[in-house]
Amino acid sequence: MLLLFGGSIYYFLYNYSYADFYKRLETRAKIAAKYNFEADKINAESFKIIRSEHLEKLSAEKEYLYRVDENNNLALTAKKSGLPLNFLADIVKNGKATRQVDETFFTGIRHGSHQNTYIVVVSAKNYYASNHLLFMRNVILLGILLIAVITTYLSFFFSKRIFDPIKHITDRVKQISTDNIHLRIEEKGNDAEISQLISTFNDLLNRLETAFETQKNFVSNASHEFGTPLTSIMGEAEVMLMKQRSPEEYQQSLVSILGQAERLNQITQTLLYLAQTGYSNNRINFQILRTDDLIWQVKEMIDKLNPKNNIQVDFSLLPENPKKLKVMGNRQLLSLAFMNILTNACKYSNNKPVVVTIASSDEQVFLAISDEGIGIPASELTFIYDPFFRASNTRNFEGYGIGLPLTRNIIKMHNGHLHISSTVNEGTTVQIKLPLAKIP
Amino acid sequence: MVKTIAVPIDFRVDSLNALRLALNTIHTGKVNVVLIYAQTPLDSITDLLFYSPSEVISSLKSKEFEAAISIIKNRYESLLNHISIELFQGFGMRSVHNFLEVHKIDEVFFFKNYTLQPPKKGFDPVPLLKKSGVSYQEVGTEMEDFSRETKALNTLFNDLVIEIANH
Repeated sequence: MLLLFGGSIYYFLYNYSYADFYKRLETRAKIAAKYNFEADKINAESFKIIRSEHLEKLSAEKEYLYRVDENNNLALTAKKSGLPLNFLADIVKNGKATRQVDETFFTGIRHGSHQNTYIVVVSAKNYYASNHLLFMRNVILLGILLIAVITTYLSFFFSKRIFDPIKHITDRVKQISTDNIHLRIEEKGNDAEISQLISTFNDLLNRLETAFETQKNFVSNASHEFGTPLTSIMGEAEVMLMKQRSPEEYQQSLVSILGQAERLNQITQTLLYLAQTGYSNNRINFQILRTDDLIWQVKEMIDKLNPKNNIQVDFSLLPENPKKLKVMGNRQLLSLAFMNILTNACKYSNNKPVVVTIASSDEQVFLAISDEGIGIPASELTFIYDPFFRASNTRNFEGYGIGLPLTRNIIKMHNGHLHISSTVNEGTTVQIKLPLAKIP
Repeated sequence: MVKTIAVPIDFRVDSLNALRLALNTIHTGKVNVVLIYAQTPLDSITDLLFYSPSEVISSLKSKEFEAAISIIKNRYESLLNHISIELFQGFGMRSVHNFLEVHKIDEVFFFKNYTLQPPKKGFDPVPLLKKSGVSYQEVGTEMEDFSRETKALNTLFNDLVIEIANH
């Protein structure tokens, strides 16, 4: 690009300088012809003075004057002057001609006066073309070279500056595998985009690490949960098989085995639910449901299972328009979710009052379930959604720790939000937000 | 007959409980509600140049506050005509009278159990409004069971900040 630009400048200037130089020589030739053949003595003198005063003397400038006769042949003149013959012939034929011999430029014109025809030739060396153009060519070449060097240096410098940190990150990320997932990319403060990338990577790694941890915990917890009833079933059976027993004893042990098996079955059922709700599938049927209806139904169910419960539904914020309570949802799943939360609230508060508040804005239904139970320690709040996790203060309560993750999955499936805030020994508040169904 | 009532607010969900209790005392007719937010008058030229009450209000309004207003709207749908938030900026009695007259306020409701905690630049207009001679009513009691009543609206919103951080 640069080369093309420089080259074209040089080429056009070169051409121009030649054309221009021939023009100058022609003017000189005309003037020479004027004062040699036309003007009288005084005029000729003044012409000469003006010319020498005002026109710059060209290097190696020479004038040739020849008379062209009818019979005189040009070859003789050519021989005498040392000018090329065809050049002279061109002048006679066309009235003017130009020619270059080595570094010397010739311009000739035909001039007719006093019934005679003359040839006037002016020759000179083109100092401008030979020196100035050469100088310009050098300057252009040097400039191109310099620019090329600077551009190369800059491009290398910047690409190194930009790509080095990225390469560093790539190398570092390659090192991280499942065995050393605790490794992080060290952050650099100087580059905003790069450090953003690094922190994004680190966040991702954090999440991955948590997921790995959860997975590990899940497996150990799950095997523990499954193991306990199995061990007791096996123990029970072994004891029974040691010797002959009375039918009552068999019956008793079978009842206990049945109880353990039921517990196992319940765990697998909930796990299945958890797995089903965990990934989003479109098989679940959604219908329009009234949240307050659901809460009442759940409350009735809990009343049957646990008559001592103390659930109060607070209607002080209930919207007047029942449309504002309708959500799109799956009846079974949503009542399972509410059931979980309400039974938890009753269980962990030993049947102290549980208040359910229902309200709705123009976009969401708000549900708040607050109890006065044992609460959840603040340091353990982040783990409550892990399957089989149970807070440290729940030793005295029965449970497997699957309910809450399941509830959260269900609420998530309904595009809602679940939030739990808690203070130890004061109570827990569960807030659920579900988007309103769009009813025309 | 349409009645216009006013409730001073500080853009906290708690301050809206006054509105809820106020609306509980009214049983018939339609009600227009003006929520008053008081701010000290501006004194710098640049502030006055870019003065826009609606911008001040929308910058202070939080998502939860809006949701709480819409909950109240839904709760008292048949009673409520219109809820608006107005910016009151002034010092003296005259500006209070002017404000009350412009918004045609018939009655002001104050909340006994809660003192406004206005953000920076704001101030508590309750003493000023009480002195103005407008008819006012104080809602809320010191009774024990009352605390549960007022808690309702707050339970829906407390720790919302944490929740946003979690998602």
